[in-house]
Amino acid sequence: MEVLRLPLSASQKGKLISAGYTSIASISSTSPSHLALELKVSENEALEILKNVSDGSRLKRTSSSLTVLNGAQSAWDMLQEEETTRVHITTSCADLDSILGGGISCKEVTEIGGVPGIGKTQLGIQLAVNVQIPYDYGGIGGKAIYIDTEGSFMAERALQIAEACSHDMAEYSRLYHKGPQACEVKTMQPKDFLENIFYFRVCSYTEQIALTNYLDEFIPKHKDVKVVIIDSITFHFRQDFDDMALRTRVLGGIALNLMKLARKFGVAVVLLNQVTTKYSDGSFHLALALGDSWSHASTNRIILHWNGDERYAYIDKSPSLRSASAPYSVTPKGIRNSSSNNKRIKHI
Amino acid sequence: MGALNYLTVENASIDADFVQFCASHGIFSVEDFLVHDVYVLVASAEKLSNSDRLKQGINQMLSIIETWHQPWVSGQVLLEDREQNKHCLSTGCKSFDMLLQGGLRVGHVTEFVGPSSSGKTQVCFQVASNVAIKLGSVVFIDSGNSFSPTRIKQIVTRISGSVETWVHGILQQAMRNIECHAVFDVYALLNVLQQLKSSLESQAGYKVRLIIVDSVSSLIAPILGGSNAQGHALIASVGYLLKKLADRHNIAVLVTNHMVSGEGGTLKPALGESWKNIPHVRLQFSRDHATNIYGVYILKHPYMASGGSANFTIP
Repeated sequence: MEVLRLPLSASQKGKLISAGYTSIASISSTSPSHLALELKVSENEALEILKNVSDGSRLKRTSSSLTVLNGAQSAWDMLQEEETTRVHITTSCADLDSILGGGISCKEVTEIGGVPGIGKTQLGIQLAVNVQIPYDYGGIGGKAIYIDTEGSFMAERALQIAEACSHDMAEYSRLYHKGPQACEVKTMQPKDFLENIFYFRVCSYTEQIALTNYLDEFIPKHKDVKVVIIDSITFHFRQDFDDMALRTRVLGGIALNLMKLARKFGVAVVLLNQVTTKYSDGSFHLALALGDSWSHASTNRIILHWNGDERYAYIDKSPSLRSASAPYSVTPKGIRNSSSNNKRIKHI
Repeated sequence: MGALNYLTVENASIDADFVQFCASHGIFSVEDFLVHDVYVLVASAEKLSNSDRLKQGINQMLSIIETWHQPWVSGQVLLEDREQNKHCLSTGCKSFDMLLQGGLRVGHVTEFVGPSSSGKTQVCFQVASNVAIKLGSVVFIDSGNSFSPTRIKQIVTRISGSVETWVHGILQQAMRNIECHAVFDVYALLNVLQQLKSSLESQAGYKVRLIIVDSVSSLIAPILGGSNAQGHALIASVGYLLKKLADRHNIAVLVTNHMVSGEGGTLKPALGESWKNIPHVRLQFSRDHATNIYGVYILKHPYMASGGSANFTIP
């Protein structure tokens, strides 16, 4: 039944099958008015059905390219592409960057989860600032989209981090770019950093789904966007959801949309997640929220946790990185390497 | 198959009169024709004036239908086909191969099921690299952006030994043999499989030996369940295409699946009962986080007992 493979609604497929059209060839040979008469639908609908059919069959034309399928890339070409273009966003913490292979990679969906207060939003804001570091300073010179579901984005904190980043860049240029080159390299002001962050605030899960669909149109209009940060993806899905099966389906759809965005536009998608308690093998332990099916939605997964008094990041899932863990700290300047005076303060 | 009107284009004896005659019996499509009793049709055709033309039309229909179904084959032919064409593809990992008595069998759809981060994608990379170096080309259909060329390069370098210049030539050849295609919804997957089928039918020279779909559950889960039954129909279509590709063109098909929670807090494979019967071989993966040893366990196999298991590590 080839008709089943077409992206049409169930009622349209039912009408096609009961009128006797089960193969794509038989549909494409009829005219729209004839089809409209047979199926008892409007001519516009018949035109739409035929368009869907012809879109599908257009792919069947064999091309002269080396690959068996149109639109596929050989692994060798992908490797060359990966090795030549710079695709990592630094996190400003050298240890974390080294276990991540340079930073958060573009074209992939990275999920970062942890207990409250561990620094997820801080890491999100740091990435939104770091993506804008110009090419000359080792960054990728892009813009950021920050989708806030919890209301935890503070513009003052972003300004503080941007100031620290700008200060670091000025110092770097003073040390490494001497002579006439120093004048050419432009420095970014903290205000410029904030201007390049597109901020969206969503207040319900339907808004979240709508926004994910809208990004498909938004990103081509703003081609510099290189990172999409969603903080946090769980908030609207945890309360008030009665139908768990619906939640799984909706999350599955969002996950596919985000994967498509990452691949199509070459942006890094960073999802911040909360934790929940799971009971297994007789003990309770912390696991990321949204269930087992969501755990397959991201390409990479990083778990942030406390180890004694220090903050640690652990790579839980990655197709190309080894499992490793690295300490980091949250300072007034943002996320930095861990040092002895940044540990957790215990209140007595 | 389809509407009778479509057949009038190519066949002279199925003309407008014949179509009208069929319509008078309530036959509008080939399926309706098959459901009707042929003798009753012939008898009623006898009573009309143009009975010869109508009987010719009925015979023409029957001969067209003959050409559309699969031919009957004897067990001997099947056994010969199995000996000559349906070999095993080694996975590159000894304990895995021993568990499967040789490796992934061509003509079978093998499923890797396991919780997140249990080694499924890594073993897929391993098998893909092994097949790409030694046997033929590999098509990797990726739905989660998990295809990583750097990781493939590491695996190919490790498998083919460490002689530098020699390795570079092999690396390029092997990586050219692996094609990666990203799909993000099930209709795109069906399009890709259909396209692959047509190009394999037309170009006889192309040696695709392995198709990997990673992962099929993330594509189907968003449309499964709910009020309509489209999801189950699409599972059946995907399964049908994969099996046809595997059998007709001597390809091994590898699919990965997730796990969801079942009764009592245990995990069970996703996609439910409709998918359960589609793969020939089902293997369940597990990972011991403390020691980093992966385990694989046979859930279903056509000729081996389920319950066998093996351990392996991924370097």
